[in-house]
Amino acid sequence: MDLDTVMAEAAPRRFSPKDDMPEEYRKAATRMIQFHANSEVMGGYLEKPFIRQAPSLDRKLAFSAKVQDEIGHAQLLYRAAESLGVKSRDQMLDELAEGEGKFLNCFHYPMDSWYEVPMIAFFVDGAAMRRQATLKRASWEPYAHAMDKVCFEEGFHVKHGEDILRELMTSSKANQERTQEAFDEWWPRILQFFGPTNDKSTHHDFSAKVGLKTMTNDELRQAFLNAYIPKAEKYGLEIPDDPGLIYHEDEDRYEVVEEDLDWDQFFTVTKNASEGSERQILSRADRQEAVDWVREAMDGWERMGSTTTPQAAD
Amino acid sequence: MTDAKTDYAAADDVGEGERQALEALLFRLADDEYVVAERYIEWQIYAPSLESDLALANIAQDEFGHARLWYDLLQEFGRSEEEVLWERDSADFRHSTLVELPFEDGDWADVVVRSYLYDTAERLRLEALANSSYAPIRDRVGKVLSEERYHREHAGNWLERLARKGEHGDETSHRKLEAATERLLPHALSLFEAGPHEADIVEYGFRTRTLEDLREEWLDIVVSFMEGLDLAVPDPDEVERPEEIGRDGSHTDDWFDLYDDFTHTYRELDFEEPIKLRAQGPKEKGAAK
Amino acid sequence: MIWEVFRQEEPGDYHKHCGNVHAPDRDMAKMFAQIQHGRRMKTHSLWVVPQDEVGEVDDQDTAFGGTTDKAYRWATTYNRVDASFAKEVADSEAEQRAAEKKREASSQ
Repeated sequence: MDLDTVMAEAAPRRFSPKDDMPEEYRKAATRMIQFHANSEVMGGYLEKPFIRQAPSLDRKLAFSAKVQDEIGHAQLLYRAAESLGVKSRDQMLDELAEGEGKFLNCFHYPMDSWYEVPMIAFFVDGAAMRRQATLKRASWEPYAHAMDKVCFEEGFHVKHGEDILRELMTSSKANQERTQEAFDEWWPRILQFFGPTNDKSTHHDFSAKVGLKTMTNDELRQAFLNAYIPKAEKYGLEIPDDPGLIYHEDEDRYEVVEEDLDWDQFFTVTKNASEGSERQILSRADRQEAVDWVREAMDGWERMGSTTTPQAAD
Repeated sequence: MTDAKTDYAAADDVGEGERQALEALLFRLADDEYVVAERYIEWQIYAPSLESDLALANIAQDEFGHARLWYDLLQEFGRSEEEVLWERDSADFRHSTLVELPFEDGDWADVVVRSYLYDTAERLRLEALANSSYAPIRDRVGKVLSEERYHREHAGNWLERLARKGEHGDETSHRKLEAATERLLPHALSLFEAGPHEADIVEYGFRTRTLEDLREEWLDIVVSFMEGLDLAVPDPDEVERPEEIGRDGSHTDDWFDLYDDFTHTYRELDFEEPIKLRAQGPKEKGAAK
Repeated sequence: MIWEVFRQEEPGDYHKHCGNVHAPDRDMAKMFAQIQHGRRMKTHSLWVVPQDEVGEVDDQDTAFGGTTDKAYRWATTYNRVDASFAKEVADSEAEQRAAEKKREASSQ
């Protein structure tokens, strides 16, 4: 299929592994899905310590289930990416370990306290879910199928996150203040979650034309702000003055003062060049390397052709 | 053995002596499950593959869930979750030292051997509780055993595969399993270490087999299975036992560090009570006001 | 040998198992399957898979999703907060409620 045909025929779930897709499409889709999959792993990495920190047994169970789901999503997404025939899952995980794999800006910052948990678990997850819901209509069928399953689970994640925010903001004054501090710190990053507004986005045009993206960054951010700002306010969080945010009541629309956002920092971070990026990537990479021996043993096992049961048993 | 044991339908039917024995039994159970899970979660994000990550995370949740069932029973004696878990003195925990040991980075052999040793013991113990004279225990055993089966299959399948020497005589995984076994077996023996209420536990029929009996059967199973995989297993009568037993509140330093770590945020937040997220919804204790 | 057959009705749908055929090899299986399983039902694509290569685990072997309380996994448990503020969250919760109902119905 040539690129013109792809653009002409682009529609939700239109293309699958049996279509002979042009290299431009396969590469763009791989980049996008790999980024998404990497983000699941690195988001999980960031949240993992809070399984242990959870302040109730039930919350701990929920947190473990949530981090488990993120790895489950990564599994679905790497498979969807592999189905484009550009890279294998091992290659993509190696790229992540080597600092070449890219992932969401918010997962490059350290998360040190429970007060920060809802910033990821409610706001960032909520933003991600907003985007993911639109990707059910992506043109790469395996990606859209992965989104069906991811969105099915995400409702739990967002409500889990909101419940943690609710609990913090209905507890002691000190806890509320610490949560507000965390919100002040994370808010600009959250506003940048959807990436640069359209004129600065490098990949949007092509992705939109071939049906990989169905909404612009700006549209997604609008929808997110409309839903989540009232929530933040409901729990008594104050929206920071900087970056500026102007509400146009007649259009029910928020305008973000773009100049107030530090896009240089954003690009440094998303190129894996910040301090946090390096620390988090390397630390995860060490763990991946530490279990190389297990993967090697299993590969050896697979090569020996035992797809059913070991002979040694009984 | 006594005959025609009293059957205890609920916490209210239990006298002071029985209560102490029951609590001792339940704390051993609950603490084992809780602490083993607290260690398993260290593997989340770090397991050898995405699929194995999901599987072990699930096992960790099962074990936390089992701990919760047993802690719930302890709460029926008028204690709260705070008292049975979060604000209990770290030296009052009664888990075996096997479950508190930290994992070395990348030592997947440890988690495989540890869970094999632990889950095999767990099955025997639960089966010996299936006819407990305390009905609330009996009622819970079936559900727990049903989930434990997957745990044993999981450990057994990994053990079989990693025990096989690889192509070109590669013995890495085999060697790692043996090293883990040598390190863990002495601690695993503390699973069967008796506490001060052991005689009462059996006398009242709360558990229908003695620890000695369980230990013997456990050794038969694990030694023959592991030796069948050509893994060297230290002689249980010869091994040097660690000073810490766990069952009497003596623990390795790693436990006290772990305790400080998992209670840190609980203490910092100082919420009114630990939140509950149960199937019955928020009407029960812990609900929003 | 026996081949399991999976049919996809519309482009973008899932391939769902619809039956099987006897055939000596993959090409013959594809030929037979399109007649036996595609001649009347709307079909966009068929997959054929050797039956021997299908591994199965069923609810006799295991209790899918566990036997103890896993309410913490479900959006519906978090009823101190309300999902209606965002359509995608509410949709997900509705899907989970439907899945939960099916599970509950089958366990009774």
